[in-house]
Amino acid sequence: MSPVLEVRHVSKFFGGLAANSDVSFQVEKGTVTGLIGPNGAGKTTLFNCITGYYPPSRGEVIFKGQRMNGLTPDKVCMLGMARTWQKVRPLAKLTVLDNVMVGALARTGSLRVAREVAREQLQVVKMEHKAGSLAGGLPIGERKKLEVARVLATGPELLLLDEVMGGLNPAESEEIIGLILDIRKHGLTQMVIEHDMKAIMRISDRIVVLSSGEKLAEGLPQDIVANPAVIAAYLGEAVA
Amino acid sequence: MSPSPRKEGGPRGTLLVPLLAIGAVGTALAFLPSFVSSPYALHLMVLFFLSVVMGSAWNLLGGYGGQYSVGHAAYFGVGAYTVLILLQYRQLAPWWGLLPALALSVLLALVIGSITFRLRGPYFVLASIAMAEIVRLAALNWKDLTNGAEGILVSDIPPLVLGGKVVTNFTSKVPFYYAGLALAVAVVLVALWVERSKLGYYLQAIREDQDAANSLGIPLTLYKNVALVLSALFTAWAGALFALYVGFIDPATAIGLDISVQIVLVAIIGGIGTILGPVVGAAVLVALSEALRSNLVTDLLVKGGVVSESSRFGVFLRENLAHAHMLIYGLLVALVILFMPEGVLGALRSFARRRKRAVAAETSP
Repeated sequence: MSPVLEVRHVSKFFGGLAANSDVSFQVEKGTVTGLIGPNGAGKTTLFNCITGYYPPSRGEVIFKGQRMNGLTPDKVCMLGMARTWQKVRPLAKLTVLDNVMVGALARTGSLRVAREVAREQLQVVKMEHKAGSLAGGLPIGERKKLEVARVLATGPELLLLDEVMGGLNPAESEEIIGLILDIRKHGLTQMVIEHDMKAIMRISDRIVVLSSGEKLAEGLPQDIVANPAVIAAYLGEAVA
Repeated sequence: MSPSPRKEGGPRGTLLVPLLAIGAVGTALAFLPSFVSSPYALHLMVLFFLSVVMGSAWNLLGGYGGQYSVGHAAYFGVGAYTVLILLQYRQLAPWWGLLPALALSVLLALVIGSITFRLRGPYFVLASIAMAEIVRLAALNWKDLTNGAEGILVSDIPPLVLGGKVVTNFTSKVPFYYAGLALAVAVVLVALWVERSKLGYYLQAIREDQDAANSLGIPLTLYKNVALVLSALFTAWAGALFALYVGFIDPATAIGLDISVQIVLVAIIGGIGTILGPVVGAAVLVALSEALRSNLVTDLLVKGGVVSESSRFGVFLRENLAHAHMLIYGLLVALVILFMPEGVLGALRSFARRRKRAVAAETSP
């Protein structure tokens, strides 16, 4: 089976700085791929290259067999690749339901249909009781969930989640983990950037480790935690 | 200046009420000239309608889409100049001249949009001002076409004949009253439609966060341009009507920065991102500018005993207040932003909410 997403030798330079250099990996359909690495490893930059916010300086991004280089973020989304933001971006003056409707309108011109889809997605993240609240007034945990509901409403085949657990308390993180596993059960492919090693071990089928912009390792979660290079670069740093 | 939050509601129930309200108010206003013959009252109403049109048109792009253009005088001027040039130098009746005027405004909007929408925030604002200045300077210097700084004076509008019958010969203010009313109702209906359509949702998403909107599949430039084209079209229409009504335009009165600022003020003072905001703003601004022009403010201050007629200050006010409308506008905007960040309409709404809550608190044990 061909992979949903193929990242081929992607490099991204900002001036002389290589934020990503020669990163390659594949994401198989229906799996959860964890993307980890110390701060500044280039995880978010890689997400931005994949989703069209930056054109990669070198290399290719192939989604469902199609070359994505040079496509704008809106086209990337319409093709079925949707991302959330590390720093959440709620449409503050709109209600929670309207936020999710904006996502749903990617696939329909009808507000009625969009409203139905939005209500369904709010149920998925268990926020239907907040439908009428303004998104700007939500606490951080609910903002993160709203972010997920909103991208789910765009009807993606590949979901890229950028630190959806960042800044959450353990109970809220647990809820997000449950949500990711739930989404996985529905066959949706996911790529997840996360800092919390315990969380990433639980949700990932495979893990890609970035360090200083380069791919340091890739493999099954149990192999990654046993990999000396990863421990030195990532875990070692955390202990020191 | 921030837009009021929109309320959640069912699609059908909420549409009926505003449609009925617009129908009722429109019908009532349609009968007004039968009861009020004062040309001054009709004149004020024409100015009010034009302000509603310009404020609502700006609001589509600025209020919903969050793109604060301070260069809408460009479209106003193109509408005004095209119709008057064709009427005066080509003897083309204004209702036909309107078509090329609107087409030109759309074309200009697409050109300006393709340049300025690359910019965000204050840079977009500055670029929009610059674009309108370019149009004004073009009108000022392209003397063969526009008669330069001398402007264009309309000598005669041909009578409007429909089916062999003269509908109007444009000698009174009444035909302009109806044209203004129809256009104002039309633009409010368009705003209502935009607010309840995918376009409206997408524009609000762009206003709130462009990057987030983009990541949700919204092509930013396309939707900004759609909003600008709609906005420019109605602004140009208002410009054409204004030019015919006043009968004279020059670059300063038709394309000056004053016009751009006044258009923005109508929306900001009323409350941006709402249907009613520009209507309220238009009422406030037209009333205020008339009160200033006719020295009503000074008269009131004198009658109220605040200042004495013969004092130096009183004389100073009488001589200067009428010319200080831009200063007063500036103060007004500062006050609105400080104390009513959601405009007059937003302030009234939150006042009503507080009253309701206070009443509820009193009645509950």
